[in-house]
Amino acid sequence: MLKHLFKLIWNKRKQNVLFLSEILVSFAVIFAVMSMLVNYYLNYSKPSGIEYERVWSVSYRNPLKTENRDSLSLFYENIRRALKAMPQVREVTYSSANFPYSGSVSTTGFSYKGNNLNPINTYMVEDDYQKVLGMKLVEGRWFNSDQDRLNAVKPMVINTSLKRAMFGDDAAAGKTVQADDEKERWKIIGVVEDVKADGDYRPTGPAFYRKIDTASFSWLGNLLIKVGPDADAAFESKMSKLLSSMMQNTDLEIRHMDEMRDSKNGETIIPVIIFMTVAGFLIFNVALGLFGVLWYNISQRRAEIGLRMAIGASSGSISGQLVSESLLLASLSLVVGTFFAIQFPLLSVFNVPAGVYLIALLLSILFIYLLVIFCAFYPGRQAAAIHPAIALHEE
Amino acid sequence: MLKNYFKIALAVLKRRKFFTFISLFGISFTLTILMVTTALIDKVLSPAYPDYRRDRSLYISKASLLNTKEGWYNGSSVSFRFLNDYVAKMKTPEKVGIFTFSSSANAYVNNKKLVIEYKYTNAPFWEIAEFDFLEGKPYNEQQVQQAARVAVITDRTATKYFGRAEGVTGKYIELDNVNYRVSGVVKGIPRSNRNFYGEIYLPYSVSKNFNGMAGTTGVRDLSVQDRFIGKYGAVLLARSEADVPAMRAEYAQLLKKVFKPQTEYDKLYIHAESIVEGLARNIFGNNEETGIVRMFTFAALLVFLFLLLPTINLVNINITRIMERSSEIGVRKAFGASSRTLVYQFLIENIILTLLGGLIGLVLSSIAIYMFNQADILPDLNLALNLKVLVFGLLLCLVFGFLSGVYPAWRMSRMNVVYALKAK
Repeated sequence: MLKHLFKLIWNKRKQNVLFLSEILVSFAVIFAVMSMLVNYYLNYSKPSGIEYERVWSVSYRNPLKTENRDSLSLFYENIRRALKAMPQVREVTYSSANFPYSGSVSTTGFSYKGNNLNPINTYMVEDDYQKVLGMKLVEGRWFNSDQDRLNAVKPMVINTSLKRAMFGDDAAAGKTVQADDEKERWKIIGVVEDVKADGDYRPTGPAFYRKIDTASFSWLGNLLIKVGPDADAAFESKMSKLLSSMMQNTDLEIRHMDEMRDSKNGETIIPVIIFMTVAGFLIFNVALGLFGVLWYNISQRRAEIGLRMAIGASSGSISGQLVSESLLLASLSLVVGTFFAIQFPLLSVFNVPAGVYLIALLLSILFIYLLVIFCAFYPGRQAAAIHPAIALHEE
Repeated sequence: MLKNYFKIALAVLKRRKFFTFISLFGISFTLTILMVTTALIDKVLSPAYPDYRRDRSLYISKASLLNTKEGWYNGSSVSFRFLNDYVAKMKTPEKVGIFTFSSSANAYVNNKKLVIEYKYTNAPFWEIAEFDFLEGKPYNEQQVQQAARVAVITDRTATKYFGRAEGVTGKYIELDNVNYRVSGVVKGIPRSNRNFYGEIYLPYSVSKNFNGMAGTTGVRDLSVQDRFIGKYGAVLLARSEADVPAMRAEYAQLLKKVFKPQTEYDKLYIHAESIVEGLARNIFGNNEETGIVRMFTFAALLVFLFLLLPTINLVNINITRIMERSSEIGVRKAFGASSRTLVYQFLIENIILTLLGGLIGLVLSSIAIYMFNQADILPDLNLALNLKVLVFGLLLCLVFGFLSGVYPAWRMSRMNVVYALKAK
């Protein structure tokens, strides 16, 4: 049966070239859309790793001209105390500019036991950073000045991705590590859950957290504040006044982390919506075209179909034959398409995990088959309704 | 003859309504997308309110310092010092406007929070950008020198802050806990115009960071970074379009004079270039080359790929249609019509079809653009179908019609008379 179908297709190869190329191009479009959607969906289904509600960020520029650690520390601790004295403020922490959703990135790289890790996000944080953002610890503990002071080796906290890259499934907390070619040694005191710092649809990468020392106050420029549910615009205005009276000669901006997250997500979603609309209309276009061509082909073959019915073919087998002919044709295109598509995971294009491409490949093949079945089904039914006597009479 | 073809084409279109619908849908939709995209690109790249004189302007927006040996890179916008002390003193430009790229600050009115994007500028900025002042006037050189707390705001900002767009000149607007006197209200511009976009414009001298800038007394010494990298950009306006090459040459000279390779950084790039060059360099180029060729190749490829699917579809349908008319072709051939005449006829028919699709596409584009403008997706960005877009659309129609008509017509012309006549 299959051999017979192939023969039929081969005999009509000229007519089929366009049908094949149309399927091939639509497959390429669908594969691109599916890869994107699968990738974003898999990222979206992971937890965000922080609690961003009611977290405000304040950006400033260090207005002090001194490099003296004590005066810097005194100045910034004063501000922290004044903020904490406000009833609506829960927690306050200073942070480097690359806090989640800020759009600012700071990366480094090192090799560990011959394993080259690059890029790794590095964050400069304080003891209260974890509480402000509600980050979840997987092992060990977060920074704590009283305990950290006892250690001779500098402490650091890493995220799950970095832990997996460095130690696999082994526990990491408590280990002292040293990167290849570097003198400095670090003690890993804890492991936190990955934070999706670029928005909900973007992947997380390996990251580590280090503690701010007082000298860093000369270049730090961000405060993160967790506020209570009663913090409204009137309170924000009050806080803004307080900060500008304490820090003169600097621009200040207060932003809400949930809004920053929305705008970060928008940067991802809007192109996807545009792309999907365009692809959707292209596919609709193709579907109509396929429908028309199949319909025409079948009406051309009335005599053949009439003959088959006259010698006893059931209407089910007629429409079955027509649908499976179209599916076979589509398969030829899909084989070619899959050959190209499979190169993406093999060459790991765009640094997307291979699994994403494979799922997208399966979904695209499924989609094309459904599209072809959908377009061939009605013409097939029409053909099956042909009356053999009338069809044969025409000849 | 043409009239006859036209009649035949219309008759054929009416005969198979389903196929006609598919063809017209494909053509009109494809053209709509391309025309709206063209309108958008045209809006961003062509001279528009408020900088109408783009053909004689060069823009500076980025500075990068490199250490090629170690692979260090330090880049951002340009320092005020470099622009004000060197670029503004160049001879060929008629005027040099200096500005920051907008950043945002908070204002609180009636217990509501407003986020307002502010831009610091110098006084010549107002002479280069031809803003429509709805009321009041810009701040002048003297006010900038005295660090007067004055501001120019857009109509949108006025409505947001004061609740009305008129009669706000002379009133005070409080931004980031500082009061500025409104000196004028201008019609707002879209965010896509990064060089001129802002919601409130302030003299650079009132910037809170200005007095604490590195190099002023009491602050640490000027490093190489401080000398070139900062938060500012500039627009250089030549006296005429013919002066632009001279301006480029003078700027290149200046850059050579100001920066000598040193141990910390051995390369400095600060480009003064046109909008298109800047865009191409940002996406497709690097510091050494603009990447304009690559950008246009990429755009052409993208349009081609986008056209590919509807074209194949149309070719498919056209073949089907033509095969249906095999008896007509057979008769005409039998009576001595040459292949060329037939190909010619089918091409014309197909082009008529695409032009019809183009017409529908035009209507759809106008609706899409109207909806885009109404929905206010990008505030103050009003798209319009102008002549350039229309010509582009017409050209696309012809190419599209030609591409999708040639292959079916060729197939048809090779049809054997006997078979053609026998079929039905």
